[in-house]
Amino acid sequence: MAENVIVAEDLTCQFGDLVAVDHINFNVTKGKILGFLGPNGAGKTTTVKMLTGQLKPKSGKALLLGMDVAKNIEKVQSKIGVCFEETNLYQKMSALENLSLFAKLFGVRGFDAYTLLKRVGLEGREKDRVENYSKGMKQRLMVARSLVSSPEILFLDEPTSGLDPTSSEAIRNIILEERQRGATIFLTTHDMLEADKLSDYVAFMNQGKIVALDTPDNLKQKYGKRALKARVSNASGRLQNREIALDTPKTAEAIHSLFEKERVLTIHSEEATLEDIFIKITGRGLAE
Amino acid sequence: MNFSVIKTLVAKDFRLFSRNRFYALITFIALIFYMLIYFLMPPSVDETLEVGLYAPVVPPSFQLIHAVEGFGFIEFESEESLRLAVNEGEYYSGISLPADIMEKFEAGEKPQVKLYFSAAAAAEIKDTIEIMIRELSYQETGQSLAVDVSYDILGPDLIGEQIPPRDRMRLMLVIALIVFEMMGLASLIVEEVEQGTIRALLVTPMSVRDLFAAKLIMGTGLAFVQGLLFMTIVGGLNSQPLLVVTTLFLGSILFTGSGFFIASASSDMMSSMGWGIIAILVYTIPAFGIMFPGTVTGWVRFIPSYYIAETIHKASNFNSGWGDNWSNLLILLGFIALILSGGIMVLRRKFR
Repeated sequence: MAENVIVAEDLTCQFGDLVAVDHINFNVTKGKILGFLGPNGAGKTTTVKMLTGQLKPKSGKALLLGMDVAKNIEKVQSKIGVCFEETNLYQKMSALENLSLFAKLFGVRGFDAYTLLKRVGLEGREKDRVENYSKGMKQRLMVARSLVSSPEILFLDEPTSGLDPTSSEAIRNIILEERQRGATIFLTTHDMLEADKLSDYVAFMNQGKIVALDTPDNLKQKYGKRALKARVSNASGRLQNREIALDTPKTAEAIHSLFEKERVLTIHSEEATLEDIFIKITGRGLAE
Repeated sequence: MNFSVIKTLVAKDFRLFSRNRFYALITFIALIFYMLIYFLMPPSVDETLEVGLYAPVVPPSFQLIHAVEGFGFIEFESEESLRLAVNEGEYYSGISLPADIMEKFEAGEKPQVKLYFSAAAAAEIKDTIEIMIRELSYQETGQSLAVDVSYDILGPDLIGEQIPPRDRMRLMLVIALIVFEMMGLASLIVEEVEQGTIRALLVTPMSVRDLFAAKLIMGTGLAFVQGLLFMTIVGGLNSQPLLVVTTLFLGSILFTGSGFFIASASSDMMSSMGWGIIAILVYTIPAFGIMFPGTVTGWVRFIPSYYIAETIHKASNFNSGWGDNWSNLLILLGFIALILSGGIMVLRRKFR
């Protein structure tokens, strides 16, 4: 049986009357990526704060590598790497100095900052002050910082937010390499395609509760509508769209009829996106 | 506590402080500027002495009093106003001639001449004025010991221990120098909170205890080293050096604790500067009171820095030792415990 590396048991957090996280339960097994999705204010960041020991839960437990986070903060924190959504680097220090500082705080011996910086594409700029970096470079450095201790668990909060496609792709590759290494990854993102591409499991969070948790494929099967979409030209030459639902007893007949009666210009299958599923479950979009 | 982590954090803070152009430059300029001020001020006291005089009747020979070299006599209309002026430190000494001085001379009796001296008057002043009165009486009567002279010391007896103004100011300068670092430390902390780097630190295995220990070492060290350097160069450690150094060290801890309070109350650099300036003004009041005696009253004892100012002043200027200052140090330790623990508590809440 696979080892549960991240476990949330009835995890709850409350600020005054506001229940930010409401008795959530989930677990992530070793070497898997959990995509944690939800609109702003859904409770994602509060959950991450409780899992990383920044915030004490009001009730319930967060267990990382079998240890209760609230009771073993320092031990737990020596095993994790966190990449925050907002850039929080020491701007007046160089990339080299930033990474070396955190390597010392983690007690990493023989730390090779140059190799790590090369891995995130910052070679040649190691000694420049961070204040002179572009947003993409800063974000890559943030990811590098979360990797200094080769953590067993990696928390990534919107790691590709606002980046150009090249930088985003570079970071996605690093995430996949980390999974390959055996790290368990908790990925918070707004980017549905990214979550779909990277995650082994996705959890939808809404108003402090987890409303769905499964693999992306299972969610699509469960909530999505599979269909064929065709663009056709009818007898009078007008262009029209046709949709044929898949997985019904009449699907084959409908496809046959389409090709027999109309001139099909284009045809493709369509799957529900994670965003469609989220809207279906919660009645609201991720951007709200 | 993890000393390796603390060392790393202190080195980081020092690096950031030295790269903050504003604070690094101000610190350096203040150190040089304060030393210049000290050395530009006169190293000795003014030798022309102004003496208050109450004389309802002036014997003929006493008319010569105004011709005595090195003295300036200021006449008063009553003995009470003379006494008040000396007590408030306006004059080092005052002479009060009795109304029946002529009658007493004529009857062959000794008139009672009263001399008043302020606490800071030199022993030489007392002797000189007493001799001058006896000499004038001798000229009036042709007899020695023609008068009885009595004198009062108003306030603590520090006669013979007057100090040049620059040594009074030295205290003000050293306190201003170390108290400024309170603002520097607060700004460093506020910057960490503003830029979110504190969050990044708090998800490492470092404990919050290590973080505060590092800030305490950084703040105290920065203030203490500057204070020590300044006092060494301007001769502030010539008497009771261990007591002065200890007080400087305790003062640096006190101001670091105050820096924690300022950081917790500030949302950005500007507000930390605003709060910092208010704190600096309050903390320098006791030193100001020592520089200009009579400008502050008993309430100054409620300001924690009073016990730093008072101890350093007495130790470095009057060679006053541990025995005279233990109560000051004890009260100072109490203030440190209160302010430091309070500062850590409120700042810790801000980190969450």
